[in-house]
Amino acid sequence: MANNIGRGLRQALTVARRDFIATVFTPTFLLFLLSPMFTILFGAAGGFGASSMAQGAADRARIVVIAAPDQAAAIVATDRQLRQVFGRGEIPPPLDVVTPSNDPAAQARARVSSRDGDVDAALYGPLEHPTIVYGGGGNNEADYLAGLAEQTMRAQKLGSTAPLSAPTKTKIVRTVVTTSGHNAAALFAVMAIFLLTLFLAGLTMGTMAEERSNKVIEVLAAAVPLESVFFGKLIGMFGVALLFVGFWGTVASQITAILPAGTAAALAGVAPAVGKPVFALLFLAYFVMSYLLIGAVYLILGAQASTQRELQLMALPMTVVQMANVGMSTAAAGKPGSTIAWIAEIFPFSSPMAMAAHAANSSALWPHAVAILWQLLWVSVVISLGARWFRRGVLKSGEGPKRKRKQPQPSGS
Amino acid sequence: MSQSLAVTAHGLVKKFGGRRVVDGVDLAVPAGTIYGVLGPNGAGKTTTLRMLLGIIEPDEGERTLLGRDRPREASDHVGYLPEERGLYPQMKAREAIAFMGALRGLPWKTGRKRAVEMMEQAGIGYAVDFKIRKLSKGMAQLVQLLGSVVHQPDLLVLDEPFSGLDPVNQEGLERLIRAEQARGATVLFSTHVMAHAERLCDRLAIIAGGKRRFEGTVADARGMLPMRAHYQPERDGPEVAAILPADAQHNGRDWVFPVADDAVEALLLKLTQSGFGVAGLSIERPGLHDAFVRIVGAEALARAEAEAL
Repeated sequence: MANNIGRGLRQALTVARRDFIATVFTPTFLLFLLSPMFTILFGAAGGFGASSMAQGAADRARIVVIAAPDQAAAIVATDRQLRQVFGRGEIPPPLDVVTPSNDPAAQARARVSSRDGDVDAALYGPLEHPTIVYGGGGNNEADYLAGLAEQTMRAQKLGSTAPLSAPTKTKIVRTVVTTSGHNAAALFAVMAIFLLTLFLAGLTMGTMAEERSNKVIEVLAAAVPLESVFFGKLIGMFGVALLFVGFWGTVASQITAILPAGTAAALAGVAPAVGKPVFALLFLAYFVMSYLLIGAVYLILGAQASTQRELQLMALPMTVVQMANVGMSTAAAGKPGSTIAWIAEIFPFSSPMAMAAHAANSSALWPHAVAILWQLLWVSVVISLGARWFRRGVLKSGEGPKRKRKQPQPSGS
Repeated sequence: MSQSLAVTAHGLVKKFGGRRVVDGVDLAVPAGTIYGVLGPNGAGKTTTLRMLLGIIEPDEGERTLLGRDRPREASDHVGYLPEERGLYPQMKAREAIAFMGALRGLPWKTGRKRAVEMMEQAGIGYAVDFKIRKLSKGMAQLVQLLGSVVHQPDLLVLDEPFSGLDPVNQEGLERLIRAEQARGATVLFSTHVMAHAERLCDRLAIIAGGKRRFEGTVADARGMLPMRAHYQPERDGPEVAAILPADAQHNGRDWVFPVADDAVEALLLKLTQSGFGVAGLSIERPGLHDAFVRIVGAEALARAEAEAL
């Protein structure tokens, strides 16, 4: 028995070694490894382009107050004060105060309706009963002008635009993580496991197809039990996955050191209930379980496909199932202890994600021991069922006569 | 089970889609012999070998491999060259051989060392670091064959090993098979080319239509048919038939007829005294091919090959 396990493990590692080397020591692996960077770069380039266009339009935008020169100074002073409460990106467009013409209403409409479209909103008339006209998308600017008129009137009644209150601001660092901080950590865990599994477990799908197209499967099947082939491939691709996660984990850890202080502080509020070290271990364990479960299913599907087209067709339903899993797990992250959370934690394929979320939301550790055992059981079920399916379908083999399997083991050769 | 038998099979049956592709095959391969499994295309040879190796399970029957009735337990001591050759195209030849050895328990380092030695011995030492995709079909096949013996197996199973090889490589393969036997290994191979079996096999089994039709030595198979005489008289004519057996056939200038083993001397006497003279006479044992056709049956042979297409 121990001999068989040892031999099976040795054979699995031989297959794993071959797959790992065949995957990693190729130029295309570098592209694969750096693919998230390309995604980020392309995303950033697209975002920068869109933001530049939006910024260009924002830079040209204006709001206008048509008011007598004696009110202009008060309006400008009030505007300066009001702008201080807005954060970056929320500040209203620059204010132009213009002298009214004979027909201020027509003047205001003309400014807003101008071909350039630079003026989002214009105010005219007495400040007690101002009229504001605005174009499409200028609703907030119109509200701002209304507020500006109100505050200017208040300042005029007080006889001063000087601040009446002088607050003292003291920043404190929270020592207790809030529930929303736990929820955020849970959501992060779900999404991270989902993305990593989707990205890396899919690698296993093509590996068995490679053996079938090269006819190597016959050599493997003669020398190695199919369970070992399956497990070897999972281990080999898991090595690739660890390399990937290790590389990007290192990059991510260095990037957080150079994040702006505000972002870093916001991230500090995201913390799991079980504590960061335990969470890191549980995250790794659940990633492994998720990878083995989903990777095994992809491997089974890949073993049935004989062409790339079949491979793609088989991958699609699995991706849909994965989307359902992540949907359930996300719900579990937001509503710990709910029925949907229970279902997600028990259903084998969503269990790793949902339990990672559980670790973020609850400090109890025993459910994780149960969950990992449960998931391990399913990993072994999926792998052995997959090997049997492969044996029956691809190698056209039966189970053999029942009576034979009951025979005692022979001894010696 | 006797330890002198490397492989045994009793009543092996395999059905695909309700059809009995292998139908009650019995085999007994003595250890240390070269054993051939012969049969027309589609006879069930490959399926039989795959069942023996444990790649697929039989629907009925039992088999042992090197004394174990679970073939997997003997897999480290078995070498196998499948009918459909398969190697990883991106692997170097040396690595491919070492990989096949590693699957059977040979350390990688030893496998690489032996791979170089074996490739040099086979005259392709210059290609040790060539990727498989760069090799010719024959060279790739040779690399795979070396991979199947790199761990020095006790049993070497070769499925149609000669197909796809040119005559020079076929001769090299025959040498390798003999060398493996000399090393102490049992060699079990399938073929539908009689010439190789005739030269190599100590014993053979003939399978057709999923059933075993014959088991024995090459001499046993050939002995199933009487010797055949080709007689050319100096003065030919229809009257010659009178001194020959009734089933003699006139074929050009030759008369062809069967001769029993104990009737050769009597025949010689009869021909020399007949007055027709002897311009030529040859008496020969029929080849394995003739025995094969006789055993399988010409019609069955044609039917089996047609079904296999």
